[in-house]
Amino acid sequence: MYKNLDPLLHSQLRLAIISMLVNSEKVDFTYIKEETKAAAGNISIQIKKLQEAGYIEVEKTFKNNYPKTMLSITDKGVKAFESYVNDLKKYINPK
Amino acid sequence: MDKNNLTPEESFRIIDKAISNFKMNYKESAKIFLLWGWILTLASFSNFIILKILHSKEAYHLMGWYSLGIWAIFCLIGFTGLFFMDRKINKDKKVYSYLDGYIKNLWTVSAVSFFIAALICIKLEIAPPPIMLLIAGIATTTSGLLIKFKPLIIGGMSFFIFSIATTFVTNEYLALIVCAAIICGYLIPGYFLKYAKE
Repeated sequence: MYKNLDPLLHSQLRLAIISMLVNSEKVDFTYIKEETKAAAGNISIQIKKLQEAGYIEVEKTFKNNYPKTMLSITDKGVKAFESYVNDLKKYINPK
Repeated sequence: MDKNNLTPEESFRIIDKAISNFKMNYKESAKIFLLWGWILTLASFSNFIILKILHSKEAYHLMGWYSLGIWAIFCLIGFTGLFFMDRKINKDKKVYSYLDGYIKNLWTVSAVSFFIAALICIKLEIAPPPIMLLIAGIATTTSGLLIKFKPLIIGGMSFFIFSIATTFVTNEYLALIVCAAIICGYLIPGYFLKYAKE
């Protein structure tokens, strides 16, 4: 139906993740889990898809012996998000 | 939570929710303002007392060195406290916003400016407060404007007034003006920030 919309971003969870990352330099995986209330496994799958597309970067570290995953958006991700929003506007206000 | 057949309206709602739920935690900044507020208030008040004592004993030649010593000791305590506080804040931090980065860079540059200004004042044998308060005013007002927090903007601007006020008083009362400036510019906005609603 919405042919021009980026299929990678046109998904509830992936869109929520990328919208959070657009706002910030780095976001912890646990913050995304708290905000989206989605299962960790599901988030990991969506993150992998975004990462493979080059939209986000994933940084895995250890803090006090606990794994810490930080996510950040890439320039390609920002451009994809911007064009996704512009395409959405065209659907809402077609001229 | 996952759905791929979103309508444009649903997509906008998701984006809007993610952005509006994005809470900036500026209560952490309050801790830093209060740390420096108390340290510098104590430093300037101690400085005032010491200068008063030296003045009464007519030991004018010692005044500069005592002032420098007091500020150096209190600044050392402040930076040590800041180091541990920063470590604790970063430990629990889940979101690093762009604004956090701007504010951190602003204060790093300001700290360097404070240090260079102090050296210039020592070399030129002029009292540092007017310049120091001006730098504090720039950094505090800009921080207030960035996080859109009025008490911090007003507090920051009060530094400018106190900076001008320092040019009208004698050397020993400079410390008292600095003390008042720190209370108005750091401590009061710091407490407003601490008790501000999210």
